[in-house]
Amino acid sequence: MSALRRLSPLLWLGPAVALIGVAVLWPVVVMVQSSFQAIGGEGFVAGYNGTANFRHLFDEPDFVSVLQRTLLWVVVVVVVTMLISLALAQLFHQRFPGRTVTRWALIIPWAASVMMTALIFRWALDPNVGVINVILHHLGVVKQLGSGQADWLGNPTSALAWMMAVAVFVSLPFTTYAILSGLQGIPDDVYEAAAIDGATSWKAYLAVTMPLLRPAILVATLINVINVFNSFPIIWEMTRGGPGYDTATSTIFMVDLKQGDVGESAAMSVINFLLVIVIVVVYLATTRWKEQVDR
Amino acid sequence: MNKKIASRFSGGVALAAAAALALAGCSSSSGGSSSAGGGTTTLKLVVADYGTGPANASATYWNGIVTAFEKAHPTIKVTVTSIPWTNFDQQVQTMIQNKQYPDVTEGDYFSNYAKDGLLYSAADVLSDPANLLPAFKTQGTYSGTQYGMPFTTSSRTLFYNKKLFAQAGIAAAPQTWADVQADAAKIKKLGKVGFGLPLGAEEAQAESLLWMLGDGGGYQTGGKYTINSPANVSAFTFLKGLVSAGDTEPNPGTVNRTDLWKQFAEGTVGMINGSPALIPIIQSAHVLTDSDWTSVPIAGKAGPLTTTLGVCDNVAAFKSNGHQAQIKEFLDFAYQDKYQLAFDKEYDLLPATTSATKALASDSVFSPFLTALPNSVQYPSDTSWANVKTKVQQTIGTAVTGTPGTVLSQLEQAAMSAS
Repeated sequence: MSALRRLSPLLWLGPAVALIGVAVLWPVVVMVQSSFQAIGGEGFVAGYNGTANFRHLFDEPDFVSVLQRTLLWVVVVVVVTMLISLALAQLFHQRFPGRTVTRWALIIPWAASVMMTALIFRWALDPNVGVINVILHHLGVVKQLGSGQADWLGNPTSALAWMMAVAVFVSLPFTTYAILSGLQGIPDDVYEAAAIDGATSWKAYLAVTMPLLRPAILVATLINVINVFNSFPIIWEMTRGGPGYDTATSTIFMVDLKQGDVGESAAMSVINFLLVIVIVVVYLATTRWKEQVDR
Repeated sequence: MNKKIASRFSGGVALAAAAALALAGCSSSSGGSSSAGGGTTTLKLVVADYGTGPANASATYWNGIVTAFEKAHPTIKVTVTSIPWTNFDQQVQTMIQNKQYPDVTEGDYFSNYAKDGLLYSAADVLSDPANLLPAFKTQGTYSGTQYGMPFTTSSRTLFYNKKLFAQAGIAAAPQTWADVQADAAKIKKLGKVGFGLPLGAEEAQAESLLWMLGDGGGYQTGGKYTINSPANVSAFTFLKGLVSAGDTEPNPGTVNRTDLWKQFAEGTVGMINGSPALIPIIQSAHVLTDSDWTSVPIAGKAGPLTTTLGVCDNVAAFKSNGHQAQIKEFLDFAYQDKYQLAFDKEYDLLPATTSATKALASDSVFSPFLTALPNSVQYPSDTSWANVKTKVQQTIGTAVTGTPGTVLSQLEQAAMSAS
């Protein structure tokens, strides 16, 4: 009886463990296995391929620039998202008429399908008839519709900037809510104490709010990094990574490789996976998250 | 923070890590089954959509055939899935990678499917395979047996807007690259796009080949990839000059054929290479009348091309579900002349069977295209083409903004290592 009793936690843990095993760990195993096999475009395994997939991948002329772009993409999108969200959360923490409505409205970019959002932006940026271009044309910013200047998504630099803006747009709701809930967890009396000590509101923000918000910022950043790193629909719908691979991140590159060579594509996934882990570990180490949460 | 919250928090981190695992190891799959119950067989038909909108969607054409077919064959059901051309190759590839095989596809066919033993041969699933146009036999053939069955064909010509030409004071049709350059510059002065050059991922391999042919180049010479040949480099160097002079639309490497054809139909593009499929787009836009545009042979370096790109879209029949008899019933039905002609009327394409071609030979619009078909140039037919084509589609457009030689030599290397 007591032996059975000791096993009873398994009953509760079992389903969750099984789910993680089947839905998370097993695909990872298959991914790593595939990266060492010769698999053509039709998905047939033609045997062990050694490290050839990886060598192929590293020899791709665009490999290094794709990785660099991926890092730039993650850093810019996450940093900008965090900064705007901090300000937005502060705003939504204030009492003002219509706060409930505006808080609800913030959900919209989150609730809408990312693919639809990306498509809408692509259409709005059409060089001839896109609504953004038409407005910019009326304002005199875009000199001529249909020109190279109006073709935002045709030029790799401006295309990347616009896609980053869309990525920030869809990341804001989650991040803002995460920080907002952190703000609501800070008791009022610490602000009273700060006021008595003569702190200005900016000083109070830096010395009281920020340190107490760190756990919330930490989680929000972490989830954003992972999300943005693997972000696929925005780039796929807006430029497909083109021209060439000039706006492709590693996820787009992986999908494109998959059409011709599943093995090499799996090798790209493995590199992607390792990169995410490295970034997360470095981030956790530099922010000393254990001290943060154990305090 | 107390211990209880801390443990809940680290649970959150674990969850985030698990999410990372799940996202990184993500794989796609989609449902789809063909069941046999009560003596009824369901065939899964996957077709490319040639339509320009809901009014002429290919699903409508196929549903018409299917309705008539099911009436005549009560024990066979056919489900039609239609996929836009831009995604067709990728979605079919994904179905195959995931082992969710269709029974019949109509669109692109690749010989690697035949190589992997996935397909029935033409003789397996057609009562009269000899009726398929012989000109396209090589393309559908893998090691001596025909697997790809042409369903519709087309050839390419150079379309130009006569109205814009008159406004720009150009009297003659463009015949050489120099003509194209001079005419495009004049049309550009009218504030329009001189030459529409769709080198975006949708069909860059077709547009590129038309220019390669202009100086006697192509993807292959004697069955070997020669993408970086001097002729091809000269073609792309010419295009680069055209692009940098602003005589094309901006950033051709990101512009797709579908979008540019629509712009030609709107009257904002002077010249563009097109197939008969452009005609219904022009007509449905109601901007250009029939006398406002015309089409001539593709311009080459020294003169108009005597050969052109002949494209056929193929039917392929997949073995995996074992529906050979039912597929044969269906294909024999669908290949009837009346359906061939209906398809060609709907999309201004050309038939792919000898009997249907004979029925069309007297047609004034189609006969010039038909006579050009037998000596048309086609895409490579070897098993590496599927892979090479993807790379060409994605990157060849950068040759007109970067260094043509570098881009073409990278493509040639990729093609060599794939074959």
